[in-house]
Amino acid sequence: MLKTATPTRPKGIEDLLTSDLIARLDPLDLTSKKVFFGKLKGERRSKKRGQSVEFADHRPYSVGDDTRHIDWNIYARLDQIFMKLFLEEEDLSLQLVLDCSASSDCGEPSKFLFMQKAVMALGYVGLVNLNRVGATAMGGLAGEGDAAAPAGAVSSVVRDLRGRRRVHELAQWVCSLEPGGDFSFKEAAERIALTRRGKGLMLVFSDFFFKEGFEEGLRRLVGHGYDVFVIQVLSPQEIDPPLTGDLRLKDLEDADTAEVTISAPLLKKYKANLAAYCQHLGSFCARREMTHMTVRSDTPIDVLVLDYLRKRGVVR
Amino acid sequence: MTWLTPLYAGIAAAVAIPTLLILYFLKLRRRDVEVSTTLLWKKAIQDLQANAPFQKLRRNILLILQLLVLAGLLAALGQPQVKRQAVTGARHVILIDRSASMNATDEDDGRGGSITRFEAAKRQAVALVESLREGGLLDQDRADEAMVIAFDTQAEIRQQMTSDKAALRRAIESITPTEAPTAIEEAVRLALAQKPRRVEENVGLTTGPPVTFHVYSDGRIPDAATAAPSPDDSVEFHRLGTVDAANASIVGMRAERSFENPNRLSVYVSLENTQPRPRTVDVELLIDGVGAGIKPTTIPGASGDGLGLSGAEAARAASAEAATRAAAGVAPPADEESVRARPIPGTSGVVFSLERGQGAVVQVRLRDPGTGAPLVGDVLTLDDAAFLVVPPAKKLAVAVVSAKGNLFLSSALQGLPLSKLSDLTPAMFQQRVLDGTLGEYDVVILDGWLPEGARAKPLATPTPESGQPAGTIDQPVPLANAKPEDLLPPGRYIIFGEVPQRLGRVSAGLKDLGPGGAASIVDWRRDHPLLRAVNLDGLDIARSRGIEVETGSPATVLASSDRGPIILEASTNEVRAVIVPFDIAESDWPFNVSFVVFLASATGYLADETGAGASGRVVQPGSVLSDRLPGEVADVTVKLPDGKTQKLRAASDGRIVFGPLAASGVYAVSWTGPFGPTDVEGDDGRPTRYYAANLFDRVESDVGAAAQVELASRVVESRAEGSAIADRNLWPWLCMAALVIIMLEWFVYNRKVHV
Repeated sequence: MLKTATPTRPKGIEDLLTSDLIARLDPLDLTSKKVFFGKLKGERRSKKRGQSVEFADHRPYSVGDDTRHIDWNIYARLDQIFMKLFLEEEDLSLQLVLDCSASSDCGEPSKFLFMQKAVMALGYVGLVNLNRVGATAMGGLAGEGDAAAPAGAVSSVVRDLRGRRRVHELAQWVCSLEPGGDFSFKEAAERIALTRRGKGLMLVFSDFFFKEGFEEGLRRLVGHGYDVFVIQVLSPQEIDPPLTGDLRLKDLEDADTAEVTISAPLLKKYKANLAAYCQHLGSFCARREMTHMTVRSDTPIDVLVLDYLRKRGVVR
Repeated sequence: MTWLTPLYAGIAAAVAIPTLLILYFLKLRRRDVEVSTTLLWKKAIQDLQANAPFQKLRRNILLILQLLVLAGLLAALGQPQVKRQAVTGARHVILIDRSASMNATDEDDGRGGSITRFEAAKRQAVALVESLREGGLLDQDRADEAMVIAFDTQAEIRQQMTSDKAALRRAIESITPTEAPTAIEEAVRLALAQKPRRVEENVGLTTGPPVTFHVYSDGRIPDAATAAPSPDDSVEFHRLGTVDAANASIVGMRAERSFENPNRLSVYVSLENTQPRPRTVDVELLIDGVGAGIKPTTIPGASGDGLGLSGAEAARAASAEAATRAAAGVAPPADEESVRARPIPGTSGVVFSLERGQGAVVQVRLRDPGTGAPLVGDVLTLDDAAFLVVPPAKKLAVAVVSAKGNLFLSSALQGLPLSKLSDLTPAMFQQRVLDGTLGEYDVVILDGWLPEGARAKPLATPTPESGQPAGTIDQPVPLANAKPEDLLPPGRYIIFGEVPQRLGRVSAGLKDLGPGGAASIVDWRRDHPLLRAVNLDGLDIARSRGIEVETGSPATVLASSDRGPIILEASTNEVRAVIVPFDIAESDWPFNVSFVVFLASATGYLADETGAGASGRVVQPGSVLSDRLPGEVADVTVKLPDGKTQKLRAASDGRIVFGPLAASGVYAVSWTGPFGPTDVEGDDGRPTRYYAANLFDRVESDVGAAAQVELASRVVESRAEGSAIADRNLWPWLCMAALVIIMLEWFVYNRKVHV
């Protein structure tokens, strides 16, 4: 809730992932309840028949088939030409979306740092398992040298990282993000939906406190074959505000103010509103086959990845 | 409503109100806090506002309250005053009995010792004052008020109605006990007179707000039945003393010289005892401070059946009781016993006889038998001693002034032991008046003759027998023209067969109606000292003389016939006279023994009034010593029983007034000037006259406290002792409660902020 006084920005991968965590992440792989078609050959069994070492089926030859896949043994025995079909192994597209608006840079511990760590951990899991990993930052400030200027709905994107060697590239990108400014979630979702290719997993990290509402944006993200996970990150201060007295609350994003005199009924009302908001987000996601979870920013990353996300079938 | 300082209030308002408004326009300075989103907060605020319809008003209520506080302060600065009917707290009248019986030492001082009832009364009264409610800061009118009146026979306001406790305390502490008898009526009247009367619509004159009388007394108040507080006043009787207090007292003392042998002095002492048991005391007689005799005597114990009542006291008690009941309109109480239960003190008497021709100060005191020490177990000591100033033995000098002589008078007077008896003619009388030698005679008997200026208007048919000269003037000589010898000079007279119109220079207020028919005696005042020994039964008068006593006359009727007064006593400042208006020769009185007795007692009575009687001058403490010194006197001093001397101023005619007397004992008045007939030479060689002040009051000496006081309109029971409850100061408790409430408020405020 409260703006982090002196935000700590990660300098490199060692700030995002500890070696201990890496050791625990290594055996994991991404998964999805839906099986998607991959784009590149990967380590994931695809519905497609293709080139791999694992036999799948036979089918009769038809004109134009690649003669390399004729099963000559069958032909010798039956004098009919059958084609050998193999299981295709494909990669999985992992799309990580994180909210870089000013409101993310709040809370103790910072929600943004939490989201950075989560993105890095999941990206690591994706990269080491030869999946295509892409990441999008919504909002935020444009890169170095122009820090003060908001960059619009989507500030920075990395696409199609693959393989363990790209881990550092992803870490560099994550560290380069600078939260700030405001953005339109609807616009950002539109752009993400338009630019992505293929199908796969999409994890959206945000607090989902959007003045215009999260419904439009989420509606645009769903429905393109992506398995969308909506991870709402809330700081402890947002859940239990440590406020007293006569205050003028200033919105970090749009400089909107609200004059409040903190009282027990007001706090009670705020908490009820927060619960209702989260429930509304959850039910909205459930109706659209999105998976919703609310995470406190003081949750350890290994608990998030190894416990919460494993239970919900993101990793295994 | 009037404003004392409106200008200051206006200036302050002009400064303060805009300042407050400007301060309010500055609004609340809110702390800025940056939050991730105001989304939920705005929603929460909107929800709350929807729940609180007076949210807007509540935001301004602080301003309204502050404006109200400011308005109140500014109005107070203007000092408004409103005239309204004063509302006062309770009003108390503290009546403190300071009479002789209050000196009885039968009150517990709380440390095992005993203090006088009077001291206890003062303590209780001060406790009452301490328990009075004080006015608050905002309603000072509501404080209880009290006034302090001390009374014996006379009442004195020691402190007017006030709520100043210090003044009330001072007033109570300043009261000193006296040795006077008790009379409460004047005190009640005095208190009622101080009540502010006011006229109320439809009611008329009201007696003012009701007051509460607090009577601190032993209840021995003989005149309580005549004290009538207003019906809406309440009376509380705080009884001091114990009902069965033991006291032996001298209630009366009289000295008499034998008629035949004036050197023989008899001192009669009356004693009383309030104890149920008989009590033996030594009665000691001291002449000029030297013991002259001691007689042990046993006073019978008090009896509870009322048989000990003397006739007069019984009659008085009965009449007072009847008056009480009549005034209260109630039937006689059923429990007659409770009223009558008061024991009647036992009485006894002692007579000392001794030979003493000279004057003397006679003191009688009660002593413990055997030891000779003051009485032990006697609560009241001041009635254990009594004084008499006995003048020297002296036979009277009497002159008879008669125009033609009176055999009856002369022969009757011959038998009396007189020092001098002269027969004077009117001319000789007038000559002596001019010479100033008339003072040789103690009593002058005027037989059928009066000086012209004192004589009545002659009747239309003068009777030669009455000795009135014919052809006299129609009117008494006008006062301005009267020659000194034509007026009755100051002195004592017995007037036979004449009706004086003037006594000295004062009108006698008697109307002469002329001779009437035969008359017989109807009634006479048997209790009067003059007629106490005279029996007028069967007196027949052949020719009476009609006489009418006008209102305001100095004369009082002592005996009446069926045709009007036949013996009168008249007394002015200068002249005292016993008047027998009818001609005694026209009656059978001279042949009756009562005539001689009358002459003897009349001469004795008149002489007694000059102070020549054997008992001397007796006054009672609480009364005023009033006497006349002979002629031109100067440098008058009075020596009090305690040895102190005070100067007095004598009036031009030698009249002195001193008092009221506080203590019993011997008072000696000395002056520079001529001696009176009975005056003696004092220690400093100057003429001195002695007065004995004695309590001599049976009611005061009967020290047992009364359980109830019967006022004219009600009977007041005594309050239980020590039942006065002092108010507890509540402000420390209120302060502590305020502290607790502030802490509670702090807690609630925190509850409001933190969940």
